[in-house]
Amino acid sequence: MHRRQLLQLSALGALSASLGMNRDAWAQASGAIQFGCPVPMSGAFAANGKFADLGMKLAIEQYGTALNRPLAYTLLDTEGKPATAVRKVQEASQQQGTRFFAGGILSSESLAMGKEAEKAGGIFITTAGADEITGKDCNASTFRWSVPTFGAIEQTVRPLIDAHPKAKRWYTITPQYVFGDGLLSAAKNIFKEKGLEHVGNSYHSLTEKEFSGYLTNAMAAKPDVLLLLNFGSQSSDALRQAVSFGMNKNMIVLVAWASGLEQFESLGADLCEGVYFGAQYWHATQAPLNLELVKRSNDKFKSNPNYSLAGSYICTKLLIDGIVKAGTAEPKAVVAALEGMKYAGLTGDEEIRKGDHQVLKNYYLLKGKAKAKMANKDDYVEVVSSGKSFLPLDQTGCKLA
Amino acid sequence: MSIYLLQVINGIGIGMLYFLLAVGLSIVFGLLRFVNFAHGAFYLLGAYFCFQMMRWGLSFWLALAVVPLVVGALGWLTEKLVLRHVYAKAHEFHILVTVGLALVIQELVILQWGPLGENVPVPDMLQGVVMWGGFVYPKYRLFVIGFTAVLALGLWYVLEGTRLGSAVRAGSESTEMVSLLGIDVFRIFSLVFALGAATAAIAGVLAAPMRGAEPFMGIEALGVAFVVVVVGGMGSFSGALIGGLLIGVVQSVMSTVWAEGARLMIYVAMAAVLLLRPHGLLGRKG
Amino acid sequence: MNTAMTTKTTTPLRRHFHLLLALAVVLAMPLTMQSGSLASEVLIYGLAAMGCNLLLGHTGLLSFGQGIFFGLGSYTIALTLTRWPLPMPLALALAIGMGALGAALVGWVAIRQRGTYFVMLTLAFAQMFYFIAYSMPGLTGGDNGLMDIPRPSLAVGKVTLWPLASPWQYYGFVAMVFLVAFWLLQRVSASIFGRTLLAVRDNEERAGAIGYDLRLLKLQAFVISGAVTGLAGALHAMMTGIAPLANAEYHTSEMILVMTVIGGTGNLLASLLGSAFYLLVGDWLSTLWPRWLLILGVVLMVVSLGLQRGLWGLGESAWNRLTGRRRAGDDAASQGGRA
Repeated sequence: MHRRQLLQLSALGALSASLGMNRDAWAQASGAIQFGCPVPMSGAFAANGKFADLGMKLAIEQYGTALNRPLAYTLLDTEGKPATAVRKVQEASQQQGTRFFAGGILSSESLAMGKEAEKAGGIFITTAGADEITGKDCNASTFRWSVPTFGAIEQTVRPLIDAHPKAKRWYTITPQYVFGDGLLSAAKNIFKEKGLEHVGNSYHSLTEKEFSGYLTNAMAAKPDVLLLLNFGSQSSDALRQAVSFGMNKNMIVLVAWASGLEQFESLGADLCEGVYFGAQYWHATQAPLNLELVKRSNDKFKSNPNYSLAGSYICTKLLIDGIVKAGTAEPKAVVAALEGMKYAGLTGDEEIRKGDHQVLKNYYLLKGKAKAKMANKDDYVEVVSSGKSFLPLDQTGCKLA
Repeated sequence: MSIYLLQVINGIGIGMLYFLLAVGLSIVFGLLRFVNFAHGAFYLLGAYFCFQMMRWGLSFWLALAVVPLVVGALGWLTEKLVLRHVYAKAHEFHILVTVGLALVIQELVILQWGPLGENVPVPDMLQGVVMWGGFVYPKYRLFVIGFTAVLALGLWYVLEGTRLGSAVRAGSESTEMVSLLGIDVFRIFSLVFALGAATAAIAGVLAAPMRGAEPFMGIEALGVAFVVVVVGGMGSFSGALIGGLLIGVVQSVMSTVWAEGARLMIYVAMAAVLLLRPHGLLGRKG
Repeated sequence: MNTAMTTKTTTPLRRHFHLLLALAVVLAMPLTMQSGSLASEVLIYGLAAMGCNLLLGHTGLLSFGQGIFFGLGSYTIALTLTRWPLPMPLALALAIGMGALGAALVGWVAIRQRGTYFVMLTLAFAQMFYFIAYSMPGLTGGDNGLMDIPRPSLAVGKVTLWPLASPWQYYGFVAMVFLVAFWLLQRVSASIFGRTLLAVRDNEERAGAIGYDLRLLKLQAFVISGAVTGLAGALHAMMTGIAPLANAEYHTSEMILVMTVIGGTGNLLASLLGSAFYLLVGDWLSTLWPRWLLILGVVLMVVSLGLQRGLWGLGESAWNRLTGRRRAGDDAASQGGRA
């Protein structure tokens, strides 16, 4: 009985396998150019995903068509999980022939999607922060609009030192993983160079909500500056708790990787007052493209664009511009068109560096305003400084030769 | 002041909140014999209802009084409408129905208030810090310690000094006995479950000014509550207190000694207790 | 007392029928779906849910630790295909072995407790494993996970037997593995061992009093469950090319559990129904409504409250009512199985 069952089973199995082998994906041969927006719509980063979706929608509707073909997009909920993100990118490229993806909020999902886009022969442009995306894990299909850890630290710590030359003692609070370590080592390099004292560091896990222990530790070290290297809700929690301990009155607090408007809104002006923030984007920037975006966003959504929306908008816009410049929607040609492209961006003049597909753009140092001094409900900060700092190509670890 | 002393004091502050979070879970388990995976969701509701009330311009103090009653009522309804039907079933389904409920509540919260976290301001009279020698501590956290201590006393009195409390304690030993004695056990179940939900909600209201109101805070709170209840002893009030304080102090002191390992140690401790002393440090057998 | 878990002993006819049904599903998916990845995912999680079902439906053990074994399988295949390269079939076998080993360790410790304490223990272990994986980025890639996992074609020497590059080609491979695993699990379930597990589930004290070694039985169930779940994890890692930390997270264990329960703990094939429902409906709903998890929560509650035999049970009742048949033989069998 057993042998016969086994033979039957293998025959049936082989049948199904051959079906699998014959059944290959077919690309949708219709007219529209398909875009994908792989962002978390459920899970802890759903807020970012929601605005990213709006950003892409804005760009797609603004252009409408490219090369006489209509533009269409699908929202892909990654749930904040890399495996789901990869699967949805795979599916979108199989089911709709999508080749152009703009999204990826979390580093882990973006790294995975970048690799999948390469396999699928598409293009993926992201705003995620991990250095590896345009560093050791770079590939021909992946582009990144946001400034990685090196630039974020250079453009916040240095100007702060210039503004407060007496601030010698620095305490850092760092999330314990590759991204956090990237920020920390960049900071330590500057400390060494400027002869500053790094009086202590507290690592914490990515799910931590209770920072009082770390803050107590920090206070005991009597620093001049508290440097928060975490992001998202963790930086909000850490800042909130630091303010509750009165630390913003005794020392300078710098949140190196803030999200911008959405974070200020959820914290409120009182918590932000006098605190320094590093940000990728600020809606009050006078760059022409940004003024346009602010107007569009207010017309359509009745609100100023925040970082998630702006990031998604510019990423989508870059893809569309690349397609138009290349004269074709064939991904390889679009990649070539994007490389080296210089344009007027949301933060001023921006350029897509050919060697690692990193966009060279400004990073801002912002300082929280007192509530009484706010000119309108979104006027949370003043811009202290901005600038471009990027590792030279040979130091990024990217081998896109 | 030595850093370790500072961390211990801070740990007590955290620990009192953990106790409040865990005590409802513990008592519910003691009497109803199941683990309520929706406990974190009541904590979440507490924080968000508080946020909403303050957004309507009402005071934090009013929220502190009203929100636990509202959430307690919700808990009472949940027990009557939902949980009552699963008592006769295998314990797996108790757990699963509350897992489903937790998910439903969380998504409803996001539907109503959006996925972005919200800030809940500390009430005006509790803003600022207390300074004593080298010791700096937020006034609000001191308030939390004091308030929770008073609440703990109140709960202890209810459990030890009232007829209801005796019924609950007796029911934890044997529900059959209690109903044979003529007491409506099912009504006690609802009350106890409501009490559990209410204490979780108070914890949520108290935590909101410290941590903001954020849709996924329920999951984190549930994890902590589990650890405290397991370490302290399932079904034991004093166990929840000792467990909460212990976990809080360990977490705080670890952030000086071995910051990365703090979370890991907590779960190692939980597993160790489950293996060596499964009924917890102060739990009873049976 | 224990009226919920309804795994019944199956007749050989029923088993063959289920096998044919499984085959039908496997063949139907390429014909009705466009995404090979989604189809593969349904089968992969179907395997994981079956592993969970072996513990829950058969042995009455509610385990929140399935994510550990899934994660172990992913990490193992990642390491054995990239860092310490082995031929793919061997790598797969090693992943299965690691899943089994992990389950043996967790099981050996967790079985010491019963009921709710057991559940809490699996939860604690799941959290511990997550933090250990997070803290060892050298081995597991930490938060980034391990990436660049290849999908080597099945080859003998230099002759490529079966390329696995495209999603549907890989699906064919997954389908084969799934059918073999399903068949093996069916035999386990129908064997004396399987039936003894049912006895343990229905009345542990009695089974112990009769003389069965409860610890050993439960441990064996754990090991098999771990092996199957590790296999699922490995297949998943090869499909997506990554072994992320999220595989070891509480959410993965919860998801597998939910699939198992929704599908129904009555028989193994119901787990495939559960995974198909969760993934297909979730995939479809998530494009319409980001809050689709709300519906899932409601379904979970409904199943726990009234529909314990899950979707499979629902289908069965509907079928019975349609055909007007009452299967008297089943009732007798299930009566006889309980104390």
